[in-house]
Parts: sequence; structure tokens; C-alpha cells
Amino acid sequence: MLAQKNRVPTETQTSKVVLQLKGIGKRYGGVKALNNVDFKCSQGSIHAILGENGAGKSTLIKIISGVIQASEGTVEISGQAVKFANPTQAVKQGVVCIFQELSLLPDLSVADNICITDPPRNRFGLIDKSAQIRLATQLLAQVNCADINPRELVRDLPLSRRQMVEIAKALGRKPKLLILDEATSALSAADVEKVYEILKKLRSDGLTMLYISHRMHEIEELADTLSVFRNGQHIETFSKGSRNNDEIIQMMIGRDVTSVFPAKPIAKTIKPTVLKIENLSWSNQLKNVSLSLKEGEIIGLGGLDGQGQHEILLALFGVLKGYQGKIIINGNETLFTSPKQAKSEAISIALIPEDRKTQGLMLPMGIDDNISIASLKRLSKGLMINKNKETQNVNEMIEKMSIKVGAASNPVSSLSGGNQQKVVIAKWLMTQAKIILLDDPTRGIDVGTKQELYQLFRELADKGHSIILYSTDYDELIGCCDRVSILYQGSIIKELAGDDLNETNIIASSLNMALEKDQVKRMNKRNENNREVSL
Amino acid sequence: MLITKFLLIDKPIRYALGIIVLILLTGTTYTLVTQGTMAFLSPTYLLQQLQVASFLGLVATGMMMVILLGHIDLSIPWTVTCAAMAATAMGGEWAIPAGLAAGLIIGLVNGLGVAFLRVPSMIFTLGVNTVIQGLMVVYTGGFAPQTHSTPIMETLATGHLLGIPNALFVWAFVGSLIVFMLTRTAMGRYIFAIGNREVAAYLSGINTRLVLIASFVMCSLCASMAGILLAGYSTKAYQGMGDLYLLPAIAAVVIGGTNILGGKGTFTGTVVGAILIVLLQSVLSVMQMPEAGRQVIYGTVIISMLLVYGRGEKKEG
Repeated sequence: MLAQKNRVPTETQTSKVVLQLKGIGKRYGGVKALNNVDFKCSQGSIHAILGENGAGKSTLIKIISGVIQASEGTVEISGQAVKFANPTQAVKQGVVCIFQELSLLPDLSVADNICITDPPRNRFGLIDKSAQIRLATQLLAQVNCADINPRELVRDLPLSRRQMVEIAKALGRKPKLLILDEATSALSAADVEKVYEILKKLRSDGLTMLYISHRMHEIEELADTLSVFRNGQHIETFSKGSRNNDEIIQMMIGRDVTSVFPAKPIAKTIKPTVLKIENLSWSNQLKNVSLSLKEGEIIGLGGLDGQGQHEILLALFGVLKGYQGKIIINGNETLFTSPKQAKSEAISIALIPEDRKTQGLMLPMGIDDNISIASLKRLSKGLMINKNKETQNVNEMIEKMSIKVGAASNPVSSLSGGNQQKVVIAKWLMTQAKIILLDDPTRGIDVGTKQELYQLFRELADKGHSIILYSTDYDELIGCCDRVSILYQGSIIKELAGDDLNETNIIASSLNMALEKDQVKRMNKRNENNREVSL
Repeated sequence: MLITKFLLIDKPIRYALGIIVLILLTGTTYTLVTQGTMAFLSPTYLLQQLQVASFLGLVATGMMMVILLGHIDLSIPWTVTCAAMAATAMGGEWAIPAGLAAGLIIGLVNGLGVAFLRVPSMIFTLGVNTVIQGLMVVYTGGFAPQTHSTPIMETLATGHLLGIPNALFVWAFVGSLIVFMLTRTAMGRYIFAIGNREVAAYLSGINTRLVLIASFVMCSLCASMAGILLAGYSTKAYQGMGDLYLLPAIAAVVIGGTNILGGKGTFTGTVVGAILIVLLQSVLSVMQMPEAGRQVIYGTVIISMLLVYGRGEKKEG
């Protein structure tokens, strides 16, 4: 710990500059994605880049790693001007990038994936399988994942483990500068903790890292230097602790932030129960889960990732076949068979799925088509779709959700991540669903949009909708939910409400306490520190 | 004015129309030089070509439904033949319904197999094609059926109304139903949605299986209608009469700008694609191009058009 602290560079310390950008600009047609950016990054530092979606972070990363080329300006690596025509050249110079979307091939083994670009060869020039496995084992050990079998197929690993493989793969390329773009957005708390340790270790080994994340507490935990981008411009670079959270957020969105989460209603009149789950079991993933949801209530599902939260939401949306137990809607026991049935008027459930790109949207289709697709029956008269009514409804939704669109008929793929998620939500609001299931709805979304969504969830609840929210972000569960149920290995082990609903309790229950006491203690300490910072 | 309007048309259709004009000009130059006539531009010739195109066009219309879903129907050849045989065998006023019923059954089998057994359509329909072939061989004993088409079938296939071939009316009628379905109904929207992202469509509460089955049924019905017309055209059904329709139908759909992976395409494109292929085949044969040369040119045109679209896609995206 001490050694790490010493390595954190201070303002006075002059360390070697690994990366320097001078007057970088990037134009897409008439749009300036980046404008005259000067930026530098010194050795042995974890340098966080902050900014809303569309602030130019991704463009910046792509230019540094050679995916695209800058329209103007120069990139210098260790003082030498470079011009990367493609990522391979960048890797040769030691610039390695871990992108937001995993780039592993699911049907190849872990070892194959780790060595994919430059596999060890034997004297015949063929791939040396055993050397490859040795190398993979070594790299996996370096990221504290010695338990992953390098022969295993990537397909069989949970998302969080795949991310670790991705990091091991990046290390295998011997980076000077490692870029992590939302690399932890798919990870659960325990895995994030592991990643922290590894990254800190790498920093003390002198590796430079550019770190992009939307999770503030991660940045506070890890980064020593922060740079804020807004609208394609580099706003400011400062060392950690010299600005408080509110100042940082204000820098990112360029306006004042009142409060991230809307106030919860204080006194609640007793409302009818709209949804009741009794002893729900499915395969090995769910064990005797019981839950109830009242009208106008937001309840949270917490816990580590992959403890059955997705399965509960999928069961309630008719996707899981052959579950045991009862699901009672408005007092009637209902057997769920399909999403079509779940969205029907009698049940009226909507699911905002985990992955908006593959499960929520038809990306090449129009924004309007995507918004209306779940409500076409209501918008049709006989066989025919009433186009006027459709356009009118869609426009209302676009306005209500303040989705930033050029034209409603543009493909959804032209929108930023936050706006895409708004389209998914608009699709389901249009069905006038009473119960809304949210599966990690703010993943990879910028702070401004997140805030808008939190407001929206509360507004919906106040209007009598009921919401079940699963989130990997504790702050979100605490800030949004009236109650939170913590899942552990397919069962609800704790329900938290009122003052008990805090980060310490959530983490403690998520890990089922007895299991890893040390870790809990460490995490609690970290959270307390965080709170001080944010106060 | 005309030019700006032309430029507004969908890019693949624009190219296909351009190629059609090119084919006609080349053919006419050839006939002017060799015979001193402009036979390819005469209304009689063009209407005759449209009549031939109706058969291919019908098959392609159906094929487009499944291609839009990201699937394919390789059972077309024997669906066409089977429907023709069923119609001629039944005879009388039930001939056409019998042919369509054969198509309906084949479509249901294809649809159920793809939707419920989750067998890739390329494999499943190929299997179904072979099974129908076997059944038809058993049924005919391997000989050409002795039955003949009914007068109605012949009128539909070869007759004219106001100088326009009846087959063209059949194609137009089926086409207008399909266009209505694709652009005005929820079913049409669902087809595009599933073609783009089946999981997202399913999670939007769409009964994706029903849409799959319905599309395969529509495809087989179109193919069987083509089979009925073909039987009327040649007054009888015979083994292998549908063999010439599978690849040209797929080519017509794809040349018309429909994405072979699904999710995007227009009926107009398919119409233009079908006409292009029929004209190309006809002009090449009139020019007495040897069979081998015809195949080479035919294939080259298809590949080069796809290359052109592919390039355009990337730039736009």
C-alpha cells in the first residue's frame, strides 16, 4: 500500500511523458468530434478521462490506438511523433487498448484468445499449443485469475471472467500505454475490486494507463490524474482530490447539478400489491424466491452479478420456460409463457433488457419503427397500421424522453448510447405498461442522461407504475429504490429498506458476510473514504 | 428534372434499371448490325419478356419474404413442381386450389421446422426439397405425368387482356398484396424487425415463430402459384420444371437490393431484379451467345452488382 502511495505523482514531480497530443482535431463531415486537443499523460500514472457520451472520449481513444486517424495535430509517444495507420502499428509501439465491447472470440479457448495476434510458433512455423498455454497461464496468474483454465472456451466463462481474460490478453502485448475504455462496466463489485488491485500493481510497475469509466467512485479509487472532456474539447486536467465531485460533474456537463437522485416520497399510503412472487425456482439459478411489489413502488435487486437477478426479470417477462412457484398479478395467479403475453393488457409488464444493442433495439431500423414496434397492435385499425396515430405517438415519446434526434426516421444506430437507451424505454412507455422491469438500465450511459432517467423512474412511480430495478451500481440502488432485495446464489438473502439501505449493508449482504469478511471490511473502509470525498 | 428524380430512387434499383437499359441497348445494337431491326424495343417482345418475368417474379416475391427474415427457402424447385403436379392431377375447377394447398403444406412444414425445431433454414428447406422430390418420383413412377392443365390455368398463363399478358396481372395482384402487407401492416413491420434482430423482436413481445411460419407459407404459396402458371404455360407438369427458378429467384431478390442477411429490401427492387434477369437471359440467347459464355456473363453481372451495393453500404454506414 505504501509503495503505491509513493508512486502517485504530485504536481511538483516531473515524470516522463509517455503520451502527448498536440492540437488534435477530428472531423466527421461537418461535425467536429474533437477540436484542438492538447493532452499529456505521464509514466506510471492512472489517468482518468471523464466526459458525457459524445464528449469525444471514444474518438480520442481511437486516435491514440490507431483505429482512426486524426484530421489535424500530432500524437507523440515517448517524445517521438507517430502516425498509426492501424491498431497493429499502435500495438507495436506499446499502445494497447481494451475496448468497451469485448473483443474475444467465444468459440476459441482462453489461451487461443490471449495469443491471437502473435501466437508462439515452433520451429516449423506452426502454432505451439503448449507454449501458448504456458504463456496464457502466466498472464492469467498476473491478473490474479490463475483459476481460469486456459483450455476452456471463452463462451463458457461468465462476462466478468471474460473481462479478466481481456486484460490478460492486453498484458500479453507488452504495453507501454494501456487504455481501458469502460473496461469495468460489465463487472460485479468483487471483480472490480480484483481489477483495482491488478491495475494498481501495474501502475507500481511503471505502466501508464488511460482509464475511462462512468462510475465516479471507481475513478476516485484508481486514478491519480483526471482530465475532463466536453463537446470535443479538453476542459481541464487536475490531480485527484483537487476538485470535489460536484465540481467535476459540473465540468462534465457544463451546468449546475442540483441533486443526482430525485427525492423519495416520505409518507406512503398503503397501495395495493400488483405483483407477488411466491417460491419461484428455476433450474439451478433461482431458489425459492419470494417478492412483492406494490403500486407506485420501486424495488431494487442487488447483489453480485449473476446471482439470479436477470432470471427473476426474465421469468416475469415470460422468457424462462418451466419455472416452479407462483407469480400473482393483481391477485390472479398467472402462468407466464411469452413476452407477448407479458405485455398484454391483463399483465402489462415491460422489460428494458440488459444489452440494448442486441436485445433492445433493431439498430439499422428507424428510431420511429423501434419506438412503435411493441405497440403496433394498439396503433392498428384492423390489419392496417394507422400511420398518423403512429407518427403522433412516436413524436410525443421523443419529446417526452427528450431524445436528441435529427429525424425520427434515422436509424437508431446513429444515436449515442444514452439516447439509444431512451429509445428502448420509450418503446415500453408507449405500451403503457404498469410494471416496468429494468435490467441494468444505465450501463455505459453518461451522467447527464443517468440523472434524467432517475428522475423519470421516480415520476413513473409517482404516476402509479411499479418498477423493479436491477443495477450493478450500488449508488443507484440506494438513490432510486424504496426497498432492495439482495440475491445470493439464486436466493434472496436480505431485504434492505429505509436507513438500512446503505452501501455497507448492500456489500455485506452481497458477499453473504461470512464468506469473505476481509473483503467486506476493506470495501466498507473504501466506501467511507468515498463518502468523505463526496461530502 | 427526370434525372434528379432518377437519382432519388433507391441506389440498388437505380443500378438495376441502368443495367436493364444497358442490356436493351447492347441487344438493339446487335440486332441493328446483324438484322437491321430493333426487335428488343418492340412492345410485343417486351410484353412477352414481362410474361416470362411473371413466373420468376412470383417465385422471387415469395423468396423475398424469407430473405427479409434472414432465412432462405431452398425447397423452391420442388415446391413449384409439386404444385404444378397437384394442380394437373386434380384437374377441373379444384385444380388451382389443389396446387395452392400443396404449397401451403410445404410452407407449413418449412415454417414449423425453422421456427420450432430451430434447424437452420438452409439445411431444413434443402432437406424438404429432396423429400418432395422423392415423393413426386414415387407418385409419378419416375415418368412424366400424363395429366394436363385446365383451361383456366392456360388462360391465366398464356392469355391476354387488353393486350397485356394475364400472368402479369397475377404477378401484379400478388405483388400488391405483398406490398400492402410489408408497408401497411404490423406483420410487415415484424418481418423487418426479425430480420434485423430476432432477439430484440422477441423481447418486444412479437410472436416471432408465427411470423416465421407465416413468411414461409407466403413463400411457398407464391412458388406454388408460379408452378400452377408454369403448368398452364406448358399445358402439363413435368419433373424438374422448377429447377431453373431457385438461383435466379435468389439473384433477383438480391439484385433488387434486399439484404441477403435480412432486414432490408423493397418489393420494387425485386420486380426490377426479376426483369433484369429475364432480359439478360433472353438477350444473351438471341445474340447466340454459347451457353458457357452466357453463364459467365450472367454470374459476372450478379457478382459485380453485389460488389457495388456492398461498397455503398460501407460508405453510408
